[in-house]
Amino acid sequence: MSVTEQNTHESHDDHGSHGHYAEGGNHHDTPQAKHRKEHIALWLFIGGDAVFFMLELFFWFYLRANNTGGMWRAANCTKAAQAAINGAGATASNMCTDGLGNAITAPITKAAPIHTIAIAVLIVISAAFVWFMEVQARQGASRKATTPLAGLALIFVIAAIVWQIVQFQVLPFTTVDGTYASTFEFYMGSNLAHFALVLTIALGVFNRSRKGLFENGRWYQIHLSRLFWVWIAFSSAVLAAVAVLFA
Amino acid sequence: MTTTAPLLEDTKLEPKAGGFYRHQNFLTGLITGIISAVVFWAIAHATIQGSNWGSDMVVTVTLVAWVVGFNIGIGSFNAVLRWTLGHDQDHEDELYAAGVGQGWKRYFKFCTDHKVVGTQYLVLVMVLFAVGGTLAMMIRTQLLTPHSRFLSPETYNAIVSIHGMVMIIATIIMVSGPFANFIMPIMIGAKDMAFPRLNALSFWLVVSAVPPILASFLLGGVDSGWTTYAPLSAQSPMGQDGFAITICTFVCSVTVAGINTIVTTLTMRTTGMTMGRLPIFVWGSVIAGALGLYAMPAFLMAQSALITDRVVGTSFYVSMQGGTGWLYENTFWIMGHPEVYVILIPPVAALAEIGSTFARKPVFGYKILIAGMAGIATLAIMVWAHHMFTTGWAPNLADPFMLTTELISIPTGIIFLCLIGTIWRGNIWTRLPMYFLYLFLFNFIIGGITGIYLSDVPVDQYFHGNMFVTAHFHYTLLGGAMIGAAGAVAYWFPKVTTRMLNERIGKTAFWMIAIGIQVTYFGQFWEGFQGMPRRVANYNALFLHANQMSTTGAYLLMAGWIVFLYAIVHSWRNGEKASANPWHAKTLEWHTLTPVPLENFLVDPVITTGPYTYGEPDPIPAPQPEPAVVGSTSSQEGAH
Repeated sequence: MSVTEQNTHESHDDHGSHGHYAEGGNHHDTPQAKHRKEHIALWLFIGGDAVFFMLELFFWFYLRANNTGGMWRAANCTKAAQAAINGAGATASNMCTDGLGNAITAPITKAAPIHTIAIAVLIVISAAFVWFMEVQARQGASRKATTPLAGLALIFVIAAIVWQIVQFQVLPFTTVDGTYASTFEFYMGSNLAHFALVLTIALGVFNRSRKGLFENGRWYQIHLSRLFWVWIAFSSAVLAAVAVLFA
Repeated sequence: MTTTAPLLEDTKLEPKAGGFYRHQNFLTGLITGIISAVVFWAIAHATIQGSNWGSDMVVTVTLVAWVVGFNIGIGSFNAVLRWTLGHDQDHEDELYAAGVGQGWKRYFKFCTDHKVVGTQYLVLVMVLFAVGGTLAMMIRTQLLTPHSRFLSPETYNAIVSIHGMVMIIATIIMVSGPFANFIMPIMIGAKDMAFPRLNALSFWLVVSAVPPILASFLLGGVDSGWTTYAPLSAQSPMGQDGFAITICTFVCSVTVAGINTIVTTLTMRTTGMTMGRLPIFVWGSVIAGALGLYAMPAFLMAQSALITDRVVGTSFYVSMQGGTGWLYENTFWIMGHPEVYVILIPPVAALAEIGSTFARKPVFGYKILIAGMAGIATLAIMVWAHHMFTTGWAPNLADPFMLTTELISIPTGIIFLCLIGTIWRGNIWTRLPMYFLYLFLFNFIIGGITGIYLSDVPVDQYFHGNMFVTAHFHYTLLGGAMIGAAGAVAYWFPKVTTRMLNERIGKTAFWMIAIGIQVTYFGQFWEGFQGMPRRVANYNALFLHANQMSTTGAYLLMAGWIVFLYAIVHSWRNGEKASANPWHAKTLEWHTLTPVPLENFLVDPVITTGPYTYGEPDPIPAPQPEPAVVGSTSSQEGAH
């Protein structure tokens, strides 16, 4: 490899931040270079998360299609289970039991769509607020314009998390009631984990907006936040659609 | 360009008042992790124990608390917290995080300098290999005689499982950890990785992932093998929880490391370093990183569902409640086969560098070699079900999966030919790294060809459950990948440690390892041909001689690795001082000082040709490490 020398004084830094790890740990970068790096990294992260998301869908449809032992929603178990309770004709092959070994005495009903849809709507609305905030910041809006939007986005994320927790409490089944119940609750748990990440970002976006750190054209962190936010909103909406339409 | 100004890393930074994070280190991480684990264990024990899955949930909560607590204690989340609060780290904070002025202590901190992280990885890998190797010796000792009582069957099963996963973790990071961190950024002319904090995070996540899997021994072990197939693993002792937590944490580490490697290569190359001029090792690291990014989420999904099956009673893998073990097997192998190439590609790429340097020739078929690695990565995601030929899953898909598996031998063969072509008729300088290249070629052709046998469905029906498979994948992963990694250690040792590896001791180790591998795994092929099942603690006396051969070879092999480890430690402490470019190599890492300064180069290099211009003079000579000559860079001026 042939190399020639170039003094580092002449290198990529155009804003006077010479030195190691200047500008928040990304040494020698112009804002554009830093933005590009973080942009690519974020898309790669979303790509990895998308693989996980696709596997969640795979789990749902694989288990639903197999419907092993009629236990997707245990809809066929009632008769056998009832027989077991009455002590008439129950055998190992026809008795449906939950994960605790108890006979299932009623079909597993679907989760009420209202909660599932509402949670997705809340996170989509929060993403919309951040998107709007980004538009404002790109146009040079001050903290007074962006902070209320960040606050609203934060409130909607918190609302989505709270509603998600509430949904866990009101579900007509528990994790032990067959594969539909398992997968549905796994979806909701996955939602919660992702919403917790978004909450961390939302808190940061709100605080930084409050401090004026997005003023004077420094909007790219909102842009990155918005990209991830939209991905979470999208994936949450798809999970909700699957959970409601293919129960 | 010379000056009397001190290098940046010699700068002394005064601790700031109230700067707690400046006091964070491995010890604070350990203390915080233990306190966190104890507190959450107490809470969980008081509130959950006695419920239906109480014990597993308590263990899971405790181990997660350990991982999170340790990382809080060492400072993994400081920057995120400060970003969230709107208090970004300032320039001096960043210098401190990079280890400036901290000497050896920076190796025990959340240090963002890629060279420190690379060195940390190197030591961690050696520790993991020591643990995994010790477990391997216990396995082979148990199998020395047919009805040995050295280990109980339960302990044997636990050791097999944990040996497997510790080795998988170690081999995944054995090259991409030390060298994709230490060497790769220098190779492309970068001053650091794209995301130094993510880099440190990836390392400390692995460190925090180790105790849970070792704790498995105290929690009843893991009796379901390294693949931890469900539903057996759903019913295993609580050690299984530690195993799963380790994997979930490790997946996070590999994911951020892969992202960092790819982004660094795409965005941090120096002027003139086009993609077509990237050294082959950089290509290998990027391809492995991308493949890991695809594969690891599947591992996370498989283990997350397993944890919920065990902890909250879901039924993904329990057929009595509607689940299926095939779901686990599919998900596991969607990760499992690509993971083999995540392990293999970086060492192979390192060996291509070695071949080129010591044969004084360009890498043969540079673009074809890249295409071969990319081809392997692409096909690797389409072959997973060949691990399930004998399970009865989707028999109609056996033929397509047999075909894709056999197809993968084509890019593999291309890579093999490129390695041979690189050294073919070269003016070979036979130093220790070249020994490992030769050994790789010998071993890998055995491992590769036996893999083709196993891709054939009828043959696999016979061999799948027996020791033939064990011999095959050890030839591939140990005889291939680990030998490649050993070559990489021998090759880049002078740059990483500033000292030459003692070749006399190294060659002694080499021959012990080389012979040990053949004796050990030919013994296991013999066992396989005789029909000895794998994963058994006791066996019929029919297999005695083959097992004696394998165990004898294993002792020799382990002794060889110990000698190699001694060569490393001895040379690191007492070895001959290395010059900046002892191999007269052409790639960029050899064109900077040894030891490498904080931002890698005293001046930004500008690349004008490809990476392997042997026979052409260098525009600038390699710098010499005279202590009186220290560099002036803009970064130093920035520090003063």
